[in-house]
Amino acid sequence: MKSQQKKYMIEISQKEIEELRNSVKATSRKVMAENIARMKKTSKNRPKAMEYFDEVADLFGKREKEIQAAKESGKKVIGYMCLFAPIEMILAADAIPVRVNSGWYDTSKLGDRIVPVEVCPVIRSTIGAKMIGLSPYLELSDALISVLTCDGMTKLGEILSDYKPVWAMPIPRVKDSPQSLRFWRDGLLTVKGQIEALTGNKITRKKLKSAIEKTQRATKAFRRLQDLRKGNPVIMGRDAMLVNQTYMWDDITRWTEKTEALCDELEEKVRRKEWACSLDAPRVMVTGTPMIWPDNWKLPTLVEEGKPQGVLVADELCSSERLLYDPVGVDEWTMDDMLDAIGERYLMASTCPCFTSKDGNVDRINWILNKIKEWNVQGVIYYVVRGCMSYAMEYTRIKKVLDGINIPVYYLDTEYTREDVGQMKTRVEAFLEMLTARIDI
Amino acid sequence: MVIEILGEALKLMVLAGLTIAGILTILIWKKGLATRVTYLRFVIQAAALAAFFYIFTYPIWLLIMLIVILVIPIAFGRFFCGWLCPFGLYMDLITVARKALKIRHRDLPDRLNKFLHNLRYVLLLVFLLLPVVLLLMDPLPSVQLGIVLAEVLGGPFKPMNILLGPIIPLIVPWAGPLVIGDVNFSYPYVQDIIGYTSGIYATIFPLIFVALTVIGSFMIRRVWCRFCPTGASLAVVNRFKGFKWAPALHLDKDEEKCTKCGICKRVCSVQVTDVYEQKGGKIDTSMCMLCLRCVEMCPYEGCLKLKIGGKTIFESRNWLKPSDSD
Repeated sequence: MKSQQKKYMIEISQKEIEELRNSVKATSRKVMAENIARMKKTSKNRPKAMEYFDEVADLFGKREKEIQAAKESGKKVIGYMCLFAPIEMILAADAIPVRVNSGWYDTSKLGDRIVPVEVCPVIRSTIGAKMIGLSPYLELSDALISVLTCDGMTKLGEILSDYKPVWAMPIPRVKDSPQSLRFWRDGLLTVKGQIEALTGNKITRKKLKSAIEKTQRATKAFRRLQDLRKGNPVIMGRDAMLVNQTYMWDDITRWTEKTEALCDELEEKVRRKEWACSLDAPRVMVTGTPMIWPDNWKLPTLVEEGKPQGVLVADELCSSERLLYDPVGVDEWTMDDMLDAIGERYLMASTCPCFTSKDGNVDRINWILNKIKEWNVQGVIYYVVRGCMSYAMEYTRIKKVLDGINIPVYYLDTEYTREDVGQMKTRVEAFLEMLTARIDI
Repeated sequence: MVIEILGEALKLMVLAGLTIAGILTILIWKKGLATRVTYLRFVIQAAALAAFFYIFTYPIWLLIMLIVILVIPIAFGRFFCGWLCPFGLYMDLITVARKALKIRHRDLPDRLNKFLHNLRYVLLLVFLLLPVVLLLMDPLPSVQLGIVLAEVLGGPFKPMNILLGPIIPLIVPWAGPLVIGDVNFSYPYVQDIIGYTSGIYATIFPLIFVALTVIGSFMIRRVWCRFCPTGASLAVVNRFKGFKWAPALHLDKDEEKCTKCGICKRVCSVQVTDVYEQKGGKIDTSMCMLCLRCVEMCPYEGCLKLKIGGKTIFESRNWLKPSDSD
């Protein structure tokens, strides 16, 4: 690959790369430690089971070494950018799935050298991370699955193909028509072939079945955690979000076990009535652009450390709750039916705003309404990073619906930067103040 | 002699089946074993099969049965088709065999499926009107109500038999078309087909019919149910004004909990799309047989419900366990 002319990437001297990587890595380590320290401080009665997730959350820690070791023993690592990538197939081929979207603020500035600053910072940051070889999982992956959801993701795959094989998976924009499903299923079959070719393992019926069962168990544990958040806050939203995020790179079986253990502990806490924060804290839901560990943690931090303090009880983020909410439902355990089930689970159940449908993507509204009712949400923060068109454009519609049921919604736009934390704090606290006032009435 | 022993065995089967059904019902409701509804359904179907065998030993019951079958749907919709019909059981067993062979079913195109569903009303009308037409063409000498009724119901085109066609058990207590030893074998509709034909065709046509339905239901789940005139007669009642509340037993969908994941559409054995497409509220399609496969497979808690009147008796749960056996 190296001898080839790079399509997008610019030449940077090895020395500069080295310097940048070391400095960003050092900052990132500090940020991660600080985030975890603050999470520990905010949460009274923080569950002990969270220690495991704190450890896995260290991007340059144990898990990186584990994947490294697995790679040396012959396993392949397959990265993916959007959650539409069929994890079950990767698992069935005995490879390790990792999500490689980047949440580093500093690298988004580097990405500016290649793409304009108007581009969504998630994309820019991922490009920047690749430029200096920062992200351990992106570096370790043997191939990337790039699902062409939004414009940014489409080009991101192209840019990253300067370094690694990238398998583009075109996704239909209308999600509930028969031809879309056929199209998507063909795409899945292509990727299946590519995964088999890369790993050298054939995806057999039995293997795929056990992979599906593995993710179903993970979904079960995940749903159990979400259900625990329905009542009085027994876990802070940030902690739960961290648990969900670690799924993106952790070993799935182990993640499931640890999450079940966490749920056991939380259930015990519910029995003893040990709540994570004051019961008067307004219950907030976040929807919008994905928030990715470690740097892009400022909104949850602001909400849960604000004065008055709020608590995140639910979200509609593809980096958190949407990762695992929908299981693969297989009717008959034949290869064809499993493929259909996987296809439908990723395409039809998704609420990503990159879609439209016959009824105009009403699924997302239903999801939010359901969360508000079941999780007893008192206010919604609509979080958008600059450049994320699909989420920004759907705001008006969501606001109209939420106004109809008298739930305040606040549009918060920001960037991948630490500079606006001060003014964001004012905005978030004003919103929380308003929610508290509403509850008092 | 064999028939008597068989009869006794079947009697025990009914008892055993009902007991198991009862236990399973308690298990499902108490322990939340939602994915086991299919097993419960098989047990009830088997019990119903045995029960029908008994009922057929009393010829007088047939008319009452027909009335019962036509009245039940007002309250229970097409519950009969999904849970009691013997022909349905045969097709389900063929499906089980197919699953064991790891062969995938085929789906009919949605438009053809809808066409077949409308065709069954035509079939029903033909079977109901033909005797009347025949009677008008060839009037009876005396106009006694009993004779007219007998001519209409039991004449050359016996609508009663046609509607009771799918209920015929494989072993019948009367002189069936196939006798091995002392046991009379039959198959749904076969005796009616024999009734209309003669000579060599009386052998060929039933064989063709059996082969077609067996192969058809091997490829396509519940193939006959898609255009079964009996099913249409069960469904027809809630097409009328004033019967919109019927059937009292129905599926209900909570729109907000639905993510349109499409599982309900894929698992439906008669390819009902309404459960998936409908916005929410009462599912008022006559295509649904209330087999509850969609409710048991729906992974969203409380999204699909089986309601009787306004009361929920069974709802979808957060199953997330591997479905049936391999």
